[in-house]
Amino acid sequence: MKTLKTKTWVLLLAAIFVLLAGIVLLQRLTEKPARTASVWVAGKLDRTLDLTTDGVYRIETGDGWNELTVSGGKVAVTAASCPDGDCVRCGAQNSGPPITCLPNRLTIRFSASGGVDGVAK
Amino acid sequence: MKQMIALLTAMILLLTLPACGAQPARTARDREVFAMDTVMELRVYDSSDAVLDEMDAALAALSRELNAEDDNGGLYALNRAGGGENAALADLVRRAAALSARTGGALDVSLHLASLAWGFPSKRYSIPTEADLTELANHCGMRLVSCAGDRITLQNGAELDLGAIAKGYAADCCRAILERAGVSGILSLGGNIQTVGKKPDGTDWTVAIQDPDDPGSYLLTMTVTGTKSVVTSGDYQRFFERDGARYCHILDPETLSPARNGLRMVTIVADEGFLADGLSTALFVMGLERGIEFWRAGNDFEAIWLTEDGTVTVTEGLEDRISYKNAEVVRR
Repeated sequence: MKTLKTKTWVLLLAAIFVLLAGIVLLQRLTEKPARTASVWVAGKLDRTLDLTTDGVYRIETGDGWNELTVSGGKVAVTAASCPDGDCVRCGAQNSGPPITCLPNRLTIRFSASGGVDGVAK
Repeated sequence: MKQMIALLTAMILLLTLPACGAQPARTARDREVFAMDTVMELRVYDSSDAVLDEMDAALAALSRELNAEDDNGGLYALNRAGGGENAALADLVRRAAALSARTGGALDVSLHLASLAWGFPSKRYSIPTEADLTELANHCGMRLVSCAGDRITLQNGAELDLGAIAKGYAADCCRAILERAGVSGILSLGGNIQTVGKKPDGTDWTVAIQDPDDPGSYLLTMTVTGTKSVVTSGDYQRFFERDGARYCHILDPETLSPARNGLRMVTIVADEGFLADGLSTALFVMGLERGIEFWRAGNDFEAIWLTEDGTVTVTEGLEDRISYKNAEVVRR
């Protein structure tokens, strides 16, 4: 009886171990980088955008305004009050270097950096 | 039985460890700063914001002092007065003059009037006539700049524009702050990358170079060990287009017109920010062949060139550090 009880315990714990190992492995295999973009105004986090949900956002920065459009998993500055329009010319992005609007002091940063610590440009 | 249970329990606990993560002793602390007419990203691995605060203040002061358009700064006053006494600026201009001489004049910090004529500071662009450029040549050139002690003299109305070295110099100042505090970090001063020390996990820094044709992509990535400065100059950051032609903000001192010599960009990797910044501009002006010869004559930097035909050329010291597979490698 005692032997049977011990075996049951061992089997039970082994089953739990295998189950947990399976869950951890599954999580690792299916893990995807979060597709978000953080919007910063004058060095402060203004909001985080979910790039999987389409939408249009008007950001008032104090120095001007920028219209951000999330579509197809990417974000673009589609209109802005800045005189040069450099931010609009960056087009739609979902990774890589930040989109910057210097006159309005707005930057859009991406969660997916590809393991890069810094971008020379 | 007890041993078996203990063993299995230990294994289950081991599985949960990755969720805890390997936290560095000092955590990453980030700050975004708008200075020197650009955005700067500061990341340090520290236990407080003290170093970030110190760098923030230093960058604000340098931004004011070194900007030819800031009427509260030392450089603006110097340009208006045709010179003056300013120990810090005199030291910087003296170093710039030495680097200018070393590069055969390809680096020139006396072109402010030419830059104004093209409209780069104001972004109200125009194309000077040949007569304008001939007249400007009388007021531009390092021959018109001299330093004696703390005094800078600008002859014939010449004006200084330190844009080619200011961010590199600022990177050196920030690096000194980090090293004094014994803190590692990575800084992007408007795209000038400065690494300081080691990453907390002991791995190399990974620095990407932006693809000139796609701001959201990288041309390549490279590994950087320890403290280095990585600076890129190209025709794609500040430019304007007229009638299908592109005019970039980097002026050729010989023509006082935007440099155009078959290059899209040059990246310099050096120990010192000032050197990397100044050389990236100078080598962009030189073009590929002259730049390679210049690299062979020295031993204090490595370089990457991207030509208009899409060819990447890299000096041998970076050959094993870059992700780009089909680069031309130049050797000494």
